[in-house]
Amino acid sequence: MRRPALERRRRPPWSPSDLIGAGVLGTLAALALVVLVAPSVVVVLISFDGREYIGFPPASLSWRWYRALWNHAQILDAALVSLRVAAHVMLLCLALGVPAAYALVRGTFPGKTALAAFLVSPQMMPGLVIGISVLFFGAYFAFRASHAMLVLSLTVFCLPFVVRIVMARLAGLDPALEEVSAGLGAGRLQTFWRVTLPQALAGVLAGAAFAFIEAFDNVTIALFTASTRGRPLPVELYYLVQYDSSPLVAAVSAFEILLAFAVVAIASRTIGLERIRT
Amino acid sequence: MTGTAATPAAWREVWWLRRLARGGGAWPAVPAVLYLVVMMVLPLCVLFSFGFVTIERGRVVPGSFTLEHYRRILADPLSWLLFWRSFWIGAVSTALCLALGYPLAYLYTVLGSLGRKILLVAVISPLLTSALVRTYAWLVILGGRRGLLNTLLLSLGLIDTPVRILNTDLAVLVGMTQIHLPFMILPLMAVLAARDRFMEEASLNLGASRVQTFFRVVVPLSLPGIGAGTTLVFAVSYTNFIIPQLLGGGNYSTVAVKVYEQTIVILDWATGAVLAALLLVSCFVFVFLITYATDRLTAWSERSR
Repeated sequence: MRRPALERRRRPPWSPSDLIGAGVLGTLAALALVVLVAPSVVVVLISFDGREYIGFPPASLSWRWYRALWNHAQILDAALVSLRVAAHVMLLCLALGVPAAYALVRGTFPGKTALAAFLVSPQMMPGLVIGISVLFFGAYFAFRASHAMLVLSLTVFCLPFVVRIVMARLAGLDPALEEVSAGLGAGRLQTFWRVTLPQALAGVLAGAAFAFIEAFDNVTIALFTASTRGRPLPVELYYLVQYDSSPLVAAVSAFEILLAFAVVAIASRTIGLERIRT
Repeated sequence: MTGTAATPAAWREVWWLRRLARGGGAWPAVPAVLYLVVMMVLPLCVLFSFGFVTIERGRVVPGSFTLEHYRRILADPLSWLLFWRSFWIGAVSTALCLALGYPLAYLYTVLGSLGRKILLVAVISPLLTSALVRTYAWLVILGGRRGLLNTLLLSLGLIDTPVRILNTDLAVLVGMTQIHLPFMILPLMAVLAARDRFMEEASLNLGASRVQTFFRVVVPLSLPGIGAGTTLVFAVSYTNFIIPQLLGGGNYSTVAVKVYEQTIVILDWATGAVLAALLLVSCFVFVFLITYATDRLTAWSERSR
């Protein structure tokens, strides 16, 4: 239905109450923006403080906490553990999530909506519950908290990111190309590898980046399923924050913030930040 | 297909079998579904069943069934206090997130493309930064007499002596609100950006003030987004144990904190299982109630339009 264009000129003039309303709205929005951004900025600034304790503003500029970080074997080991865990989670999520997203977008079977809801349902599940239930499940079969258990539990949590982002990307593609490929005699698998996947690659990359960082950062699930010997970085930091009051943690945090920005950059280059919004 | 003795009925059978075998293209989803069944559904069943059995040294005593754990926990006034505190923290931080998030999501819809991009980065990048890092940031900001907030307030002359914020309810609320704010903003942005501007222009042209238009047209139209954001923020705030532990001080306890302590520190798995099960079920009940309420409100606002 075409609607007549409404002229903006016919808007009423700003009344005093409108001005107050706009002022309140603007103030709250500005406050929200400050609240969102300030913590990261503060942490990065603190990490360059040369003093022994946390204080603000930083008294002097120095690299000492980054040097300290470089010599801190425990944190570096934990970071390596986290990188490995995140890589494994990412691969597992891609192997499970990409075909599932394909089925959910291209398939024509009954109960598709319900299945999609089930596959993204871990996002509605509190991390605490995922962690504790996998811990108990493992214990029931005499599995101990370990690298494998950490990867398996984090995959539950990260799978929805891949499914949702790849689904969004696939839904925006034209199925005609796939039909042409099938019509020219390519098999289903060949069509998927040669035609569908290259087109959906942007979504796959963004989904992988999200799965990676969510696995790398996660602390709620990891506290339950990580073993005490191979602690991942978030768990290590969790213990460190409780007794260490030096800016060392700030230096680690600065790296994590950098990593988050890298993922944002990947996502905005591949599928666009607007897509992630939904 | 030529000259074989197959009857039409037999062909139909084969056709059905092939169709069934192809499953309408559902097969690629099977591994993911199986994975979630094994790693999420079954563990949840184990979690719920652990509340009803006797556990000794991390092993279930075979054949034991008891309601004792539930009786003990439900009869303890402390549990009720913890549930009340979890609910209170969840509800207040959800309200704060809505009060801060809605204006920002609205601002997003009136900005140009550069402004939108900056806002999206500002909202999404905290979401991807570790919750632990952001909790730590609040330790720095709120913490001690040398914390950022105290320094700021002292230098502005608003206070004479440093105030104590860390290790109070307020610190937990501030931390929760900031850390869960993106969960509120993103669904609101999606709904507000997709809204039909025609109604607003019509409302303004008919002589309604901007404030009236905002509350009578924009807000009712965005009710689904409010519902989505509210349920999400409430669910994560209600069950978070990291923030209360770090910002609330050592003896600040909520149900989620208690679950963690019982399971990991004290190793009383039965209590942990019961509390986690109660937490999950009550969380779903609240989420259902919020969804129901916003659905009814949406229906009501559509009728009275």
